[in-house]
Amino acid sequence: MTDVDPVIRLLETARGNPVDEPFRVTGVMMQYYHVCERELWFESRNLEIDRENPTVVRGTRVDDTAYGEKRRNLHMGMISLDLLEDGRVVEVKPSSRLTEPARMQLSYYLWYLERVAGIEKDGVLAHPRERKREPVELTDERRATVEAAVRGIHETVTRETPPPAEEKPFCDSCAYHDFCWC
Amino acid sequence: MDRNYHVFSDGRIERTDDTVRVVTDDGEKKYVPIENAEALFLHGQIDFNTRLVSFLNKQGVAMHVFGWEDYYAGSIMPKRGQTSGRTVVSQVRAYDDTDHRRQLAAAIVSGSIHNMRTNAVYYDGRGRNLETEITDLEAATERVADDLPVDELMGIEATARKAYYRTFNEILPDEFRLSRREYNPPPNEINSLISFGNSLVYANCVSAIRATALDPTISYLHEPGERRYSLSLDLADLFKPVLADRVLFRLVNRGQLTRDDFETELGSCLLNERGRQTYSKAFEETLERTVDHPQLNRNVSYQYLLRLEAYKLKKHLLTGEPYEPFKRWW
Repeated sequence: MTDVDPVIRLLETARGNPVDEPFRVTGVMMQYYHVCERELWFESRNLEIDRENPTVVRGTRVDDTAYGEKRRNLHMGMISLDLLEDGRVVEVKPSSRLTEPARMQLSYYLWYLERVAGIEKDGVLAHPRERKREPVELTDERRATVEAAVRGIHETVTRETPPPAEEKPFCDSCAYHDFCWC
Repeated sequence: MDRNYHVFSDGRIERTDDTVRVVTDDGEKKYVPIENAEALFLHGQIDFNTRLVSFLNKQGVAMHVFGWEDYYAGSIMPKRGQTSGRTVVSQVRAYDDTDHRRQLAAAIVSGSIHNMRTNAVYYDGRGRNLETEITDLEAATERVADDLPVDELMGIEATARKAYYRTFNEILPDEFRLSRREYNPPPNEINSLISFGNSLVYANCVSAIRATALDPTISYLHEPGERRYSLSLDLADLFKPVLADRVLFRLVNRGQLTRDDFETELGSCLLNERGRQTYSKAFEETLERTVDHPQLNRNVSYQYLLRLEAYKLKKHLLTGEPYEPFKRWW
């Protein structure tokens, strides 16, 4: 395989002419990269998650019910995001427990829109249950962090084996918990 | 973990509104709490239609069908979570790689002998004299090695199982003898109980495997597809002593199952409806028992141990992390 920068790989995949093999990064992958790389590796292998897991059920419910008609879903190649009526990209999370990974997910959407579609947007991170909203802007610093993460994700998902299990404070609520630790 | 529901009477099982009910031939109606069902087990002569199958599929509930003599007849599985190309590819690769297959087969045999030995040790501690059999089981364990051909591993397992079945005559009252293991059809009470219990373990393993997208026909100890879902046979070997045999010992020793619970015909002896009900009830209670799981740091049901075993195998195949077979630790 040629030594092409993963950021280029991703952009070429988005433009429909992948180098060697397609390289896709979804918003969820960007989030997992910042939460747990082992989780990211599992996700990249299409390991089905436990849909009955309480955290997954809660997240899906909050996401389904928040902002009802006021947002619409947009699919763009490898990403799928929600737009508010005012045009801002919104990411809904049940709690502010893992805020940085959520910020990175949102920043990735903004970066993707900018680089792939040439559209500049602002973002808002919403925790409806906590009645909290936080604006997220794509600064130069964030652009650099997103690109570094894209490279990191490429490294993780192309590994033959997942990173070893590591006890983290949120392991208990992970949908891969039993699979990971059994 | 959800529950299994068994239907023993003859009649019809149908969807009605958003639930499932059984209408028996004598007109009795029973409702199945489908929301928390893992699988339905049909033991009687029961009619159903495609509408029911679609509904079970939507609810993610499996249905296992049991015939009269050859106990397990087949399953109707929900389609969800059944396919993962990558998982099947990794399963086949491990099968095709002689060293890898031997290693997995050896793991299954060593786990299975360990679990037989645990039963022998338990009853030895309760006044039975099982020293010879325990020694034989230990000797078998020592012969297991990762690089042995699969048929040799099978042979070791068979030797161990023979020694293990000898313990049955010590553990059980004198009127229930197991001279040797026979089936198709089972000739006496204990053979019949072993067959019935094993088929329940087997069907529960089918459910567990299908929940993980592993292909149930690709196996390591048993020859793939040789009989039915051979991966289920692999996993069932690990759990038969813990689930089926312990239920058998308990029910017979306490007199909860007697000769009256069997129907004997020329050359065959089968549990009757009441016997099957008694056994299934005790079996389900066992599945619901919990044990502290050292890695997961919480109590898990015996039934969930089957699911975890499928997870462990799948994780091993996809990640290369070692597979440790289930060995009763309590």
